[in-house]
Amino acid sequence: MTPAIAARTRRQREIRVAYLLLSPTLLLLLAVLGYPLAWEIWASFTNFSPLQEGATRFVGLTNYRQQLADPQFWQAATVTIVYAAVTSVAKLGLGLGFALLLARPFRGRALVFLAIFLPWAYPASVSVIGWFWTLNPPLSTAYAPLMGQLKFAVDGVLGDGAWAFISVTLFNIWRGSSFVGVLLLAGINAIPPELFEYALLDSKSACQRFCAVTLPLLKPFLALGVFLTLTSAFTDLANVWMLTAGRIVFPVIGTHAYWLAVEGGRFGLASALSLTLVPVLLGALLGLFRLFDRPDPGGA
Amino acid sequence: MNPQPWWRTLGHRALVLVAVVYCLFPVYFMLVQSLKTAREDVFGNPLIVTNPTLENFAELFEPSGEPRGFVGRVLQRSYPFFVWLENTLVVFTGTLALTLGASVAAAYALGRLRPPGFRWLRRVIFATYVIPQTILFVPLFRVVHTLGLDDNLLALVVIYPTMALPFCVWMLSAYFEHLPREIEEAALIEGAGRIQAFVRIILPLSRPVLVAAGVFTLGTIASDFTLASVFLLSDINKTVPAGLGSMEVALDELLAVAGINLMAIPVVLISAVFARDYVRGLTAAMLEGA
Repeated sequence: MTPAIAARTRRQREIRVAYLLLSPTLLLLLAVLGYPLAWEIWASFTNFSPLQEGATRFVGLTNYRQQLADPQFWQAATVTIVYAAVTSVAKLGLGLGFALLLARPFRGRALVFLAIFLPWAYPASVSVIGWFWTLNPPLSTAYAPLMGQLKFAVDGVLGDGAWAFISVTLFNIWRGSSFVGVLLLAGINAIPPELFEYALLDSKSACQRFCAVTLPLLKPFLALGVFLTLTSAFTDLANVWMLTAGRIVFPVIGTHAYWLAVEGGRFGLASALSLTLVPVLLGALLGLFRLFDRPDPGGA
Repeated sequence: MNPQPWWRTLGHRALVLVAVVYCLFPVYFMLVQSLKTAREDVFGNPLIVTNPTLENFAELFEPSGEPRGFVGRVLQRSYPFFVWLENTLVVFTGTLALTLGASVAAAYALGRLRPPGFRWLRRVIFATYVIPQTILFVPLFRVVHTLGLDDNLLALVVIYPTMALPFCVWMLSAYFEHLPREIEEAALIEGAGRIQAFVRIILPLSRPVLVAAGVFTLGTIASDFTLASVFLLSDINKTVPAGLGSMEVALDELLAVAGINLMAIPVVLISAVFARDYVRGLTAAMLEGA
């Protein structure tokens, strides 16, 4: 065998091994996400419903058209986008603050770091239960009257269910800012210290240095933080929805889809509804990829 | 470094204090409630506990099956909390092992072997995060049923890894990709196989990144309440979150809060032990950008 052929067969074996090693991950993703997603897309083009008699029919874009014509959909979409935007901005702002507080050494930094790490490390599946029932107490504990008054005041202004919704928002920000803070701290640690020294020579104000050096270099981390916490924002909402068996009546795309699917049995419509979020998230993801795949000077 | 003016140090300390209180208060509040007697819960100051008691914790471990007593005329039922803890341990350990195993294998393939189109493959894997979870559990039920895992803990062991895999694969493969080829080649020249070179050289080097992947996985799967409640139906098959969710909160608020703390303390301790490596691992994985 000539060396060239030997190298090529070795490369081909490497590629086969690579696919073999990838197979567990791909199988899991296909079974748990791929197939259900395909089913959901299929269902969104039909009138599928377990409650209905007769065969399922293909209805084309009817479900999507019906959603877009529904004022309730637009209300839910607005609430969803505002919720995502408000939680993301708050998490980024607080997280950046935490990371900057921890960026320089000081006495007790390790302990402060642990405190800031705690909200994310505390398992959300149970802390959300405590959080939600504390702000919406079901019986008379010592703090129940205060919470009840808050609830009535807020619901009176913003409508039924607003206080429950706000408590989820606060919870999501509390936990997410901890995650973003730790992630950004890791990002700040990744900035070469020389850059800070150059910046120190170059400009006098801390603000200028922050805007010229820290912020641009942190951009990919900020994007990653937003993206990862965005998915958790919807997880938290779903958790509370499940916990309270639908007590949150504030319209969000996710909960609206739940109603249609679980209560009304209208899976086609619900599928179409929940898929409307995909283009938005996909756009955000493409932005993230652009931030990460900067032209590599090493040319790797 | 030039010394800081006093007002800056003071401002920094004040901000640190605010941040710490903001982060700790909810956890403190839940801890205080779980130590209260029912009487103090209703009449006492919500912020402090004057007669701390562990009776709520003890009550969780009482043998289940028999009613515990009455509140007014309502029967208080008892809960198999110890079984829930065991189930949670099984699910979390299984998920962690599967996630780390699968993501290390995939990351090695993407970062070191680099089959054609590996960058796109990595992006597609990461892009699975945009799939809306809201009503996905309906078709997921069919998958679980086909696998014969109805009301089975293994259903969660199969589902949970997909919540953490995309980020873990992304992180580990970015790290593997930027390790210089020479370190592996040196071992290969000395006669070690690829597997040996991986186990002896690459794995020890990537310890912090592995820890980061593990901590991220733990934090992510510990945030799920919905899937656990949907797929674990019978009482003795529940994990702690699903079980606590099924409690009558109006009757057993103190018990539920004690359960929250019992589940949280081990998870928090494990995360705290690895916290430093978690940050180090994130930094290492992100240094080059992926």
